[in-house]
Parts: sequence; C-alpha cells; structure tokens
Amino acid sequence: MSKLALKTEGDTHVVVTRRFAAPPEAVYRAHLDPSLVQKWMLGPEGWTMPVCINDARPGGKIRYEWTNGKGGAFYLTGEFVELEPYHRIVHVERMHLPDPTPDNHIETRFEADGTGTLMTMRMTLPDAETRAAMLATGMERGMEASYARLESMF
Amino acid sequence: MELAEPFEMTQPAISQHLKVLEDAGLIVRRVDGTKRPRRLAKAGIETMDQWLAMLRKALETNYDRLDAVLTSMELKKQKGEKQ
Repeated sequence: MSKLALKTEGDTHVVVTRRFAAPPEAVYRAHLDPSLVQKWMLGPEGWTMPVCINDARPGGKIRYEWTNGKGGAFYLTGEFVELEPYHRIVHVERMHLPDPTPDNHIETRFEADGTGTLMTMRMTLPDAETRAAMLATGMERGMEASYARLESMF
Repeated sequence: MELAEPFEMTQPAISQHLKVLEDAGLIVRRVDGTKRPRRLAKAGIETMDQWLAMLRKALETNYDRLDAVLTSMELKKQKGEKQ
C-alpha cells in the first residue's frame, strides 16, 4: 500500500500528501539542511547529489546538482519565497535539461499528525512541452536504473 | 459554435477554454472550411498520465529514503539526550 497520495487540482496544480513518523520540526529540517537533503532527494537508484545549496531565507538561492557517475547529470535552481519554521516552505524552482523549464511554484506544509507529520506539497503542473522534456530525461534515468539492476542479476 | 451550445457561456469564453486545453496538448484543432473541429489528443493525455506516474515513482522513492533519514535523526537525538 502506498503512503503517498497524488492528485491533480484543476488543470494547473498537483497536490501530494504523505505522512511521516517524525514530528514537523524534523521533517522541515530534512527539507532544508543540505547534509540531510543530499541523503534522500535523489530520484532513481544510482544517483547522487554532490552539490546542494539551500540559502534558507526569503530570496535565498537554491541549487541542486545530480549525477549518476556515468556522465549523466542535470541541475535545478530556485529561490525561497517564504519560510515559516517547522510549518511551511514556499519556493520556486526550475530544472535545467539543459534548457530551463518554466518556473514551478511549490508550497510545502508540515502539520502535526499525532506523533508524526502530515506533509502537503502543492506544485504547478508543467505544460505539455515541459512534461515531454521531463519524461525524456526521466525515462532515460529510470531505464539506466533498471539496466543497472538487470546487470546485477547476472 | 457547436461545442459552446450546451454551456451557458459566451463563444469567446469557450474559445479561451479550448485554447488552454490545446496549449496543454489535451485537444487538437483541425481546420475544415469555416469550422474548427477539435478532438481529444490521445498522446497528450497519455503523456500526462506518464508524467504523473513518473512523478509518483520519484517521490515514493525519495520519501522512503526520507523515512530512513528521519529515523536516524531521531536515533541521534536520543543518543544526545542520554549523554
């Protein structure tokens, strides 16, 4: 059973919800502290994030760079808009594939839920062209991960 | 015109909605004399489903890893409290 719920909101947004066993303070920190972000925001197996810059203040810069160690690489840049400690992060980001995708406006909320956290992330739905560009990159990445797993079976 | 008939909306308003759908790659427009028939763009809808599936998979993988990060943060905190 998947713990993640993902739904579209009209033609313009995607809303993702996910519960975590840790309190909002920890989940919030894990979204901002570069040494923690580098441990989980990695996408498919085999990828690492050697560069992670989070200048966590309104207007502060974001830069994440990923690599698969086999020549595959791409990066994301962005800016923080609003930060409400342990409760809410608003930021803008774009992927560079290598052409920049249109800005994705993301609001992430962290609410106490028993001893854990309910996280709600609301993001802009990319246009058709951006979806196609992301799919092309994503499929390549996904397939590399699948091939790597396949190879390890022999 | 025909597409606007069932709705209580003006023709320009309907055209605006159709343009949004067209820009999103969900419908395709053809020119047939003075008519502009639209049809659903199967490829566009499939791309949307594929994209949402890719997003879901990437997020599930990431958040499963985040669960592990949160567990180790909690363990570190407990250790710190004992010292």
